[in-house]
Order: sequence, then structure tokens, then C-alpha cells
Amino acid sequence: MLPELDPLLHSQLRLAVISILIGSDEADFVFLRKATGATAGNLSVQIEKLREAGYISVEKSFRGKMPRTTCQITPEGVTAFENYVEALQNYLPK
Amino acid sequence: MENTFSEKESLAVIRQMIDTAKNNLQQGMGKVFLLWGYLVAGISLATTILLIILPGDSRYYAYFLWFLMVLGGPLHYLLIRKIERERLVKTYIDKMMHWVWIAFTISILTVVIGLILSSLFIYPALSAAEATNDVGQLFQWIFMSGSAGTNQPVDHFQFWFQWLFIPPFMLCLYGIALFITGKAYGFKPLYLGGIICWVSVLILLATIHHPHVLEIQQIFLCFCAIAGYIIPGHLLNKKESSDVA
Repeated sequence: MLPELDPLLHSQLRLAVISILIGSDEADFVFLRKATGATAGNLSVQIEKLREAGYISVEKSFRGKMPRTTCQITPEGVTAFENYVEALQNYLPK
Repeated sequence: MENTFSEKESLAVIRQMIDTAKNNLQQGMGKVFLLWGYLVAGISLATTILLIILPGDSRYYAYFLWFLMVLGGPLHYLLIRKIERERLVKTYIDKMMHWVWIAFTISILTVVIGLILSSLFIYPALSAAEATNDVGQLFQWIFMSGSAGTNQPVDHFQFWFQWLFIPPFMLCLYGIALFITGKAYGFKPLYLGGIICWVSVLILLATIHHPHVLEIQQIFLCFCAIAGYIIPGHLLNKKESSDVA
């Protein structure tokens, strides 16, 4: 029986966010929006879901007078991503 | 983007997104390379000219021009502050390269400060030895060894000889930092600049006994600043503007 894919990561936008963060030390909300092509509203919702699951940490600060949101992957997020990729390999033809 | 998708699409997303964030030098870094490139090239060129036109021992005052390098510090700080404000993503390579350049700066400062300190010991030693024409006294001042004196003329050159190793040593460090940065970001002009610095080190060490070694060293510093910093800096700026366009 094939292992179940983590439903939290098996969503195009959430997986895209996690994939960017796995290769980055940190990424700005604006960068994530441009890279994924998502709308700000949808991205905010998906980021919040990942944060609630403990997969990412979100830091809000100010760049001059402009608010800034920075995301970082957590160790739990790294493990979840590794498990997801491992499970994914079982679905691919060998 | 849709909420659910196939396993193949899933892999494609991972690959595409990982590629998005990797191997790009931070926007504005070209200006940092240009700042240091033009500073080193300008100072070394001016030093070469002064070494040629100034008469007698006064030509050595040309080296005081290198103190102008401190001007780069505040300008570098302002440029980096602007880059950090505009930074949207920080990759692990960015983080590693930050520490490579910090290590490069510390290495340069350590050598320069060490040699300046050694010169501070030479000045009083030379004065004392000249006053008595006593080489033994000179060594006693420098090494505190209490060796016996002999009445021979003081050879100033041997006490300044260590400074001749500064330009090749600097270029060796330039080579390391440029090569690593170029390879890490996959930017060919930078690592080629590093290789040019290393080849220059070989030439400078081979010509260290040449009568015009001082001028040769300054010319090579200028050449390496152009090859390793100025050309890659302009190419980076061009790349950035074409990326934006």
C-alpha cells in the first residue's frame, strides 16, 4: 500500500512555499508572492496554515515605514518535506 | 494555483521553486564590487605614478595613499544597508558567502595591522642603531635578545622586506574570495578574476627581487582590481538591469 502524502503539503501553493524555503535561509512575503504567482490573500491564508502546523516561522517587522513579513522553515517543516518527498517517490514509476 | 494536483506536478513544483531561490547574487552586489575595485585600482595607479615621479626616498611616501582604503568602509556600509533593506530572499549560499567575505576582511586586517605593529618596533630600533651605528643594538631593540654588537652599516632594506609580501598575499586572498564566490553563484567573471589574481601572485613572487618590484606590484594590484572587481562588477550591474527589463 502506498504511503499517504501529507495533505498539508500536497497542495500546489503550500508545497511551492515550502520548496522555496527549504533552499533559503529566509524569504520575504513579496518574494514568495512573485515566485509562486499567487495572490496576496491566498498566500497569506496558506502561510498561516503552514505556520499553525509548525512547518514555518513567520516574523513581522518594518523596513523603514513599510511592514515586512519574513518566513523561515522550521526543523519540523524540514522533516515534513523530507517525508513528503520520500512518500512521493513511491508514486513514481520505477 | 490549484489546491490539489498529481504526483508528477508535485515534483515539478518542487524543482521549479528550488531553482527560483538559488544561485543568484543579491541585487546591488555589483556596486559593492565596483566600489572596492575602483578604490584599489585608483590607489594602486596613483601609487605607481608617485613611485616613478617622486625623487629619492620621498617616493616611499606614496604608500600612504593606501590609507585612503578606509574611505571604502563607510561607503560599503551604506551600500550593504541598502541591499539588506531591499533583500527579498536570503539563501544558504548568501549566508555562507557573507562569512567568506567577513573572513577575507579579517585576514587582510590581521596582516596589515601586524605589519604596521612590526614597523612601530623598527622605527625606534633604526634610530637607536643609526645613533650608535651598532647593528647589535638594533637587534637588541627588535628581538630583546641582548646579542653582541658589531660595527657594520645598518641595512634598512632587510627590515622593510616583509612589506614586499603584502601585495602577493593580498592578491592570494582576493583570489580565494573571488573564486569561491564565483563558483558558489555560478558567475564566471568572478572566478576567472580569482584565477587571474592567483596567476599574478606567481608573477609577483617570481619578480620579488626585480629592481622595479615596487612599481610591478602596484601595476598588478591595479590590473587585478580591474579583472577581479571592476569588470565583474559592471557585468553584474548589466545582468541586474537586463533581469529587471
